[in-house]
Amino acid sequence: MDFFGNALMGFQVALQPINLMFCFLGVVTGTLVGVLPGLGPVGAMSLLLPTTFHVSPVSAIIMLAGIYYGAMYGGSTTSILVNIPGEAASVVTCLDGYKMALQGRAGPALGISAFGSLIAGTLSVMGLMFIAPPLAEIALRFGPPEYFSLMILGLTILTFLASGPMWKALLMAALGLFLGCIGMDPDSGTFRFTGGILELSDGVGLVPVAMGLFGISEVMLNVEQSMGRSVFQTKIKNLLPTLQDWRASFWPIIRGTILGFFLGILPGGGAVISSFVSYAVEKKISPHPEKFGTGMIAGVAGPESANNAATGGAFIPLLTLAIPANAVMALLLGALIIYGIKPGPMLVKEHPALFWGVIASMYLGNVMLLILNLPLIGLWVKLLKVPYPILFPLILLFCLIGSYSLNNSILEMGLMVLFGVIGYLFKKFQYEAAPMVLALVLGPMMEHSFRQSLAMSDGSPFFFFQRPISSVIMGLAFFLLIFPLLPWFKRKRPAFSE
Amino acid sequence: MNHDQISSAGLFVIGLAICLGSIPYKLGSFSTPESGFMPFLIGMAITVFSAVGFIHSTMRKKNGEEWSSLMRGVRWQNSLIILASLWGYVFLLMPLGFFLCTTLFMAFLFRAIVPHRWPLVIGGALLTSTAAYVLFEVWLKAQLPKGLWGI
Repeated sequence: MDFFGNALMGFQVALQPINLMFCFLGVVTGTLVGVLPGLGPVGAMSLLLPTTFHVSPVSAIIMLAGIYYGAMYGGSTTSILVNIPGEAASVVTCLDGYKMALQGRAGPALGISAFGSLIAGTLSVMGLMFIAPPLAEIALRFGPPEYFSLMILGLTILTFLASGPMWKALLMAALGLFLGCIGMDPDSGTFRFTGGILELSDGVGLVPVAMGLFGISEVMLNVEQSMGRSVFQTKIKNLLPTLQDWRASFWPIIRGTILGFFLGILPGGGAVISSFVSYAVEKKISPHPEKFGTGMIAGVAGPESANNAATGGAFIPLLTLAIPANAVMALLLGALIIYGIKPGPMLVKEHPALFWGVIASMYLGNVMLLILNLPLIGLWVKLLKVPYPILFPLILLFCLIGSYSLNNSILEMGLMVLFGVIGYLFKKFQYEAAPMVLALVLGPMMEHSFRQSLAMSDGSPFFFFQRPISSVIMGLAFFLLIFPLLPWFKRKRPAFSE
Repeated sequence: MNHDQISSAGLFVIGLAICLGSIPYKLGSFSTPESGFMPFLIGMAITVFSAVGFIHSTMRKKNGEEWSSLMRGVRWQNSLIILASLWGYVFLLMPLGFFLCTTLFMAFLFRAIVPHRWPLVIGGALLTSTAAYVLFEVWLKAQLPKGLWGI
């Protein structure tokens, strides 16, 4: 079947009423998660994952994907109106978006953010459609050493980009890999580190770990702070940007889209990095860089487009190589495995309805989001007023029920609470949880590829540097590891962090 | 000791424990790695990275870097209350059943952190438990633990 035939089939799948409903549910939940500070897309997806076991995998993935890109849309609303980013990827939108709101231009800021997101989201889905299938064909030639090297590169990029000292991120990745070793060794059938607990024979579940690290720990930190927040009171008008706004935003949107898409593809990249890079680029090339931070519409249009474009790009390594680019994709990978679908290069051929259906649903989801975010902006503003003392018990309850209903297991519920405490301590001691979650998902695959590669090479650890593709990837990973030690980077690191 | 010294020292011990814990699963060799091989390497990596972290944080301390208390200026008691309620839920869910346990849990949280009025506490807790029961048990067919009244 040709490209257009596949795309048509994708739309046939996505337009089925049940899939449309799940797409709508996903983008609404995503927007809600983005609007309400305190629960990110990873937390929300892990919360809702158990509820999707009763529907088809296509509908479930459509909904989970909708949550991800929906959160990017919703996150900008709080950044612009309350100066609190609902999502990490919207942090940079606060700088100019909130200033625009203070100047009485909340409407155009919200409007350009929604339109920019729509354009970027749509273009990145097109990129995904064109790039993913040929990349999957190339990936069919990959053997265990190439897969192992790619996973090492993914973890290295994530640790390289993590905030704070690199040793902390590397430690988190190593801890995640260890968690991935718990349970039955698939190669020998030995039970490792289970302590005789039968429920651990399948390993430590991704959902309780993610819910604990991202949901419970976040609530524990939030209740330690003041729980009041003020919402911008001025009436929001003129949501449609003027011609002058469009003129100032057109190229930032295009640049943000391209940057976001390609940074999203990189394992370890993603929406947060893309939005910051886009802002930095816009500021650098602007004739008035000094005005950034005072309410420049380009400072909203670029980053908001970049973070949405990154969501489309992030699907490429997941769907073609089974390598998640970030923690959200790691959760989607886990979901695919739970549904009995083997992600990787064969996914496009073996499950075309899922692949093309999910992509087509992203087009539709982006249109739904525009409708949700512009005319219904008043509703989202009202939701911002839900007091946190009412909201946090509900989040905790959903986490508890979600972790229990996964396997009707009290142990998993206890594990989630335990990881909540661990996540809380990590945040207190400034360790990032994302490398740990990514490593937990990649761990079993990495171990399998590593042992297969060693067996293929008769035990030579240099085997990874003897095959062309693998050696290039390993070289890149090695470079990223030693890069922070270079004197030039040490001098520049504070500027990078800014 | 500063925060990074404490955390890296703790992780150093965990790394060593993983290395030692891997040995009973047999390490094998590079050409025929056994079940303990990968966890042993990971344990080694944790030990090395945490040692680097300890040295790094010691150097920062020697350079006069200030460290503020982790609990200063925050209401850490609230986190303890949350934690206690979560563990309470985990241990009481089976004996009390979903509905009663959830109602008590929600009422406790609505009252303990920011005290709401009692009608709101009781009404909110009952409403949330009922909605959660209908959503998960009735609609999504999750098999939640049954209590005294079969719910």
